Amino acid sequence: MKDTAFFLGKGGVGKTTLSSAFALELARSGKKVLIASLDPAHNLGDTLYTKLNGQPRRVEPNLDALEVDLGEWVERYLEDSRRQLKENYSYNLALNLDSFFSILKYSPGTEEYAVLWAIEDVHCRLAPDYDYVVFDTPPTALSLRFLSLPFISGMWVAELTKLRERILERRQTITRLNPESPVAASCVDKDDDKVYGKLSNIRARLSALATLFSKQSFMSVIVNPDDLSVYEALRIRDELDRLGLPLEAVCVNKQGVSDAAWHLAPELASLSRFDFDFTREGIHSRDDLARIGMKPLVQLFLKEGKKR
Amino acid sequence: MPRKLKHILKQALLTAVQVNRDKATGIMEFELKELENIFALLILGGFAGLPSPPAPIAVELLPYMERELTILLARTDLSQDPLATLMDMLQVD
Repeated sequence: MKDTAFFLGKGGVGKTTLSSAFALELARSGKKVLIASLDPAHNLGDTLYTKLNGQPRRVEPNLDALEVDLGEWVERYLEDSRRQLKENYSYNLALNLDSFFSILKYSPGTEEYAVLWAIEDVHCRLAPDYDYVVFDTPPTALSLRFLSLPFISGMWVAELTKLRERILERRQTITRLNPESPVAASCVDKDDDKVYGKLSNIRARLSALATLFSKQSFMSVIVNPDDLSVYEALRIRDELDRLGLPLEAVCVNKQGVSDAAWHLAPELASLSRFDFDFTREGIHSRDDLARIGMKPLVQLFLKEGKKR
Repeated sequence: MPRKLKHILKQALLTAVQVNRDKATGIMEFELKELENIFALLILGGFAGLPSPPAPIAVELLPYMERELTILLARTDLSQDPLATLMDMLQVD
């Protein structure tokens, strides 16, 4: 069943506006909805006219919202690793641990992992209290990286697990042949080996996220009536195709904002298309958001959700 | 006296058995250390420019890799003279 929606697209196309309107329409139709912003530059609270933080906050009777604090997730994850490192090393190998971890904060991939673990937290801890979860995503580059992580990291973890199994088999054989060997003092069973346990744990978490993205999520791409946002939507579609993630709808936002010629690429034209007019008067309240005509997209989402 | 002799003979036999066991598993232990070294290199290779899993995965595994890190450091010393290491393992004087 598809109970999670992601809105992707180039920066500035209206992801936050459309995902808020989508969540609002779902909530006003009687479903219990949580909308979470994954964008490091949050503006979900501004769109919903409610001050938000990292915990779900009531916006309307059936609608809660939160803005994921990525900095806090990075800190939490590094603090956890730092604590385990200090606990497990019998000699003080890591004298400059704190400076090492403060550098890791800026290591490539850390922010994407923080997004991933934040999604996991929303999915496992918060989502059971709601009928549907809607994610407002960051601009394309970061979104595609976190969507691909469960698949790419999953391959790494699978290979490392195989190598670890070989190591444990060798240790078992040596211990059987020569119980006096120093190897006998190390872990020989999968159940006792903490590295194997950790690899299995990471693998299970990544696999659950891969399932969430590929089987439980409804992916929409948002474009504006201009070529740049369409080109980026094509790149999103290609990348999602490569990862085996189905893209199900294209939302053309701000229709009528300009008279310049443009066309929707044929690759996107095959998707279900939803048009949203540019509102010259602007959006000044949640009721204005609710009027932008989200019903057909919500109906498709509910229909797709029931399929599996 | 015969009891003491029996004890000495038993100890000699046990030592001989242990020496043979050590010889039998020596090459396997070397191979195991190589595997553990490769495992550590794969996890930490990013720091030396080798392809490696994303840093956050390496950091999650790091707290449990004390043995592998010790082997990795020992191997770094041995890598200066790999031929001598090989000859030593094959017991060539």
